[in-house]
Amino acid sequence: MTTQTEVRLDAIPTEDLQRLVEFAQLVTAARDAMSDEIVHRLAGAFSEGMTLLDRLTRNEGLMRLLQVLDRQESQNFLIALSDAIHRSSQEISAAPPAVGGIGCTLRVMRDPGILEGLRLMSLIGKHLSHSLREQHHHGG
Amino acid sequence: MSENKIIDARDTYCPGPLMELITYMKQASVGDTLELLSTDEGSAADVPEWVNKVGHEMLGSEKVDGVWHLKIRKAK
Amino acid sequence: MRILIVGGGTGGTIVANNLARRLSAEIRNRKVRLTMLSASDRHMYQPGLLYVAFGQMTPDQLYRDQRGLLEPNIDFHVDPVEKFQLDKNQVTTKSGKTYEYDILVIATGSRIVPETVPGLAEGAETFYTEATAVKMFKRLREFEGGRIAVVVGVPHKCPIAPVELIFSMHDYFKARGIRDKVSIKYHYPIGRMHTIENVAKWAKPEFDRMGIEIETLFNVKEVDAEHKVVRSEEGTETQYDLLIAIPPHKGMEVIEDNNLGMGGWIPTDRFKLTMKDRDNVYVLGDTTNLPVSKTGSAAHFEAEVVSENIASIIKIGTPVRDYDGKVYCFIEAGHDRATYAMFNYQNPPDLKPATKPMHWFKTAYNQMYWTSVRGLL
Repeated sequence: MTTQTEVRLDAIPTEDLQRLVEFAQLVTAARDAMSDEIVHRLAGAFSEGMTLLDRLTRNEGLMRLLQVLDRQESQNFLIALSDAIHRSSQEISAAPPAVGGIGCTLRVMRDPGILEGLRLMSLIGKHLSHSLREQHHHGG
Repeated sequence: MSENKIIDARDTYCPGPLMELITYMKQASVGDTLELLSTDEGSAADVPEWVNKVGHEMLGSEKVDGVWHLKIRKAK
Repeated sequence: MRILIVGGGTGGTIVANNLARRLSAEIRNRKVRLTMLSASDRHMYQPGLLYVAFGQMTPDQLYRDQRGLLEPNIDFHVDPVEKFQLDKNQVTTKSGKTYEYDILVIATGSRIVPETVPGLAEGAETFYTEATAVKMFKRLREFEGGRIAVVVGVPHKCPIAPVELIFSMHDYFKARGIRDKVSIKYHYPIGRMHTIENVAKWAKPEFDRMGIEIETLFNVKEVDAEHKVVRSEEGTETQYDLLIAIPPHKGMEVIEDNNLGMGGWIPTDRFKLTMKDRDNVYVLGDTTNLPVSKTGSAAHFEAEVVSENIASIIKIGTPVRDYDGKVYCFIEAGHDRATYAMFNYQNPPDLKPATKPMHWFKTAYNQMYWTSVRGLL
């Protein structure tokens, strides 16, 4: 069974015919260029790709991680973390190494930024500890 | 005691009824009878042609309900 | 529920991977245990052997690590079965272990037995194992001209191989520029040049075009390797300078040793693919006694049916579909063209003309095979 419509050649505009010819020439050129090696490599890449994709999509952890990463807060957090580390590394490289002892500690504590940092780390620690306990209780 | 073996090759095209017969012929002993069932019209001619050329014995062939029953005895 | 799969070839691997995916929850909950036993830690892509015989593939490209092809939730052991004790629902392996099962799948394949024809192993080249394929390529490479005879044993796996062999040989000697110095004579055991009628109709004019001599009704009786003569049961003989044989086959020795089937071919129901009189034993691939082509493609389609049915039996208590005899085989026709034969119990094969895109499909499939045995295609 075929569906064929009859078209009269002289009814087709010349530019369209020309385009058809060019297209046909392109297909022929592609066919000539196509070699066993190309097919072999394309098919190999496709096969390996499918296998990898299958493994990735069946990795529950990876799939959940992707969902988490999709959230604005997660992205913000990661960007903030990256910024923080970058700036800290710049400051550290400029500051002289600590000499230790109470005096040095008090001097460092005088920096309001440091105190903010300590507060943040403690808060993070507090929530992390709580969360870990919860997970333990629910058999995590 | 010679054996009677039925080979059901109905509705198959590859390797086909005659090739199945040749396979079972090898496993059979001299004097055994094999009955080949085939829905391939060509078997009616192909099988006797092979049987006679190789040197076995055609015992009979009949068509029942669209199925050819070809009986062969292993002669050597 | 313990499912045991014996055999790590095409059929066994596809059944195992399909079941591993369908029953992943049951396996995780330890309701089902899936075990595979194989004689080898490697998986061979057998169609590649013809390429090796013509120097188009190196032997290492034929193999992949079997463990790497299997889903991680399959218990895999390289430990071939030696005894099948089906009445006790168990098998014993080479290492002495006993594996009990509730459902068994036997997919042990088939092997060549050239020694069943006097003189064949000594006198003929073949391409059905890695070693013989490499040896055949070296002989072809040294061949400078003369008479090549091709003979075919019955039964053999891959029914289309004799025809593909001729196309490959013709192209090979043409490429070397010595085709006119080589005469090729093709012998076939039945009254036409191929068992599939449509293939014979299509191939005969191609063979004529390529200048191939054909003798039909030639059943190999013996080979006189010293005088280079191959003789038939019909009383004819052919002189050769190089003899290439597709040897006769049998099922694996372990199948015959355990009396599971004469010649190593296990009596199997053609629709349910269960062993005769044993509903908890499935048989697929070359080792069945079915009048179905011994090909990877048949094993593939049978494996799909078997895995679907075993999974449904476990989930809902009954099988869901029958094997319809489906087979799909590529046919390389030389000159970078190919066609294919597709058929089942109801429909005979109907060949389309050979084309380049089909050849590319076959080339692509050589790679995609590995994805398909993983159960992804």
